[in-house]
Amino acid sequence: MTRFFSWLFSLLALAAFFALLLLFVWQSLPVLRAEGGSYVTENRWFFRQHQFGAAAMIYGSVVVSIIALMIAVPLGLGAAIGTAEYLPARLRWVAKAFMELLAGIPSVVYGLLGILLLRNWVYDGFVAFEPLSGDTLLTAGLLLSIMVLPTIVTLGDDALRAVSAKQRHAARGLGLTHAETILFITLPQAGKGLWAAILLGFGRAMGETIAVFLVVGRQDNQLPENLFSLSMLLEAGQTLTSKLGGAETNIAYGDPLHWAAITGLALLLLLITGLVTWLGSVFRRRSQDA
Amino acid sequence: MTMSRISLFLLAMGAGSTLWAGTLKINGSTTVNLPAAEAAEVLRKERGMDIHIDTQGGSSGGISMLGDGLVQLGMASKPVSDKDREKFPNCRFKEIAVGEDAVALIVSADVWEGGVKAITREQAADIYEGRIKNWSELGGPDRRIAFFNKEPGRGTWEVFAHWVYGDSKKAPQVNFPEVGGNEEARSKVGGTRGALSQLSSSWVDNELIYALGIMTKAGEVIEPVTSNIATRKYPLSRPLFLLSNGEPTGDAKIFVEFMLSAEGQKLVEKHGYLKLADLKQ
Repeated sequence: MTRFFSWLFSLLALAAFFALLLLFVWQSLPVLRAEGGSYVTENRWFFRQHQFGAAAMIYGSVVVSIIALMIAVPLGLGAAIGTAEYLPARLRWVAKAFMELLAGIPSVVYGLLGILLLRNWVYDGFVAFEPLSGDTLLTAGLLLSIMVLPTIVTLGDDALRAVSAKQRHAARGLGLTHAETILFITLPQAGKGLWAAILLGFGRAMGETIAVFLVVGRQDNQLPENLFSLSMLLEAGQTLTSKLGGAETNIAYGDPLHWAAITGLALLLLLITGLVTWLGSVFRRRSQDA
Repeated sequence: MTMSRISLFLLAMGAGSTLWAGTLKINGSTTVNLPAAEAAEVLRKERGMDIHIDTQGGSSGGISMLGDGLVQLGMASKPVSDKDREKFPNCRFKEIAVGEDAVALIVSADVWEGGVKAITREQAADIYEGRIKNWSELGGPDRRIAFFNKEPGRGTWEVFAHWVYGDSKKAPQVNFPEVGGNEEARSKVGGTRGALSQLSSSWVDNELIYALGIMTKAGEVIEPVTSNIATRKYPLSRPLFLLSNGEPTGDAKIFVEFMLSAEGQKLVEKHGYLKLADLKQ
């Protein structure tokens, strides 16, 4: 009986996912037909002229997520090593509890903190580069780094604790120091789990909407000429989520092509976050099986 | 708003229409919807009324759905045109004013103190289309203009675009950072040097943000103050209407009366609009 229901509900969840995917594909067909591949490669989003190229939004989403990870990964994995390897058990739970509390704060609160503090810090701190305002891709990335930190710390800590104590004892018995044990035994063994932590953090960053919405500036068609140029980071930009959260969805409603372009963004977002989260889960399961 | 759209859309896909008789149906402008939706909430709670309020198609959606008899009340932030009346000969459109929305062009303190106090329509168009990029061209400080465009589709943006281009559909498509809610516009303009945006006039505090006057061709500066708004001398304003087919009756009448009552007018004021009493000064 239990098995029957667990299968049934798993199938239901799976069916819901594919129904959603199909719905988005079907709804966005008009724009895929009209724009073809240029829907994702072209940088031109002018809805009144019916031109839809989402490259700048994909760039925006990826770039803010990468900024977030560049800060959150070293900090988060460092903190995870601290809690898993150095803190005594009781303190470890306190630290984890606080981290999970951070993860539970609604994102609009982070967004408001971003407006109140982070925007001004970026605006004043980078004044030498003359940013037009505090709404920049960098601001969004910094805010996201704080938001994905708890995910990375908690999952990283779990991955490190999953490495068997016997391995550690053996390493210490062979004469390795505590630091060497972490570096050469625990970290490599927890590798897959740590990758899972990073990927799930990335998925969270890609999908985050309201906090990014409030500080990213929401300026369309912002793509640097050189993909690795950093000058764009101090300018306003647009992400997939900030576009979807904006007023344009209301305008699009009733115009089949425009609506398709908007649902197409949702489809892209679903595919990217879905892929990243799935990869993360695979790594996580593999690391737990090992 | 967006969520309700999506859920409505999903419902329509599966279960067909969710509207039924006995419901007071209202549709139209998002601008009027802000106080009207709250009024509907109050009436649902206090009088157990069944009210379905939506913003499909904005003001024009409100007019056409009332014309087609799909709703009992429309919401519009523009008068019903003769063309609309011709299109729906069976509907005797009645406009019931519930308030007035005035849009100010707001700047940050450094711009105001740097000497920019007024702007012409041509200058506004030049800034909007990127021909003017520095405040020095308007007699202000040598600083880049950080223009935060109100999200297209917002009522405030419509008023601005209508003023500059005669019809918001004629406004060119531009790329500027965008702001949504009034709170966001105020805090971002207040916290950015050289900032400019469009905002409902009642939000101006003359501390962090200042409202520019509008300079006419004759060189007269018109400030967005109540007296100028009430007489329509200040050009960036528009009436907020509830629309009915003839005299409203039944539930529709109750709703209209509530919007005109002190409690309803308080909701109008709460959302940054001028209430009727302000206009009669």
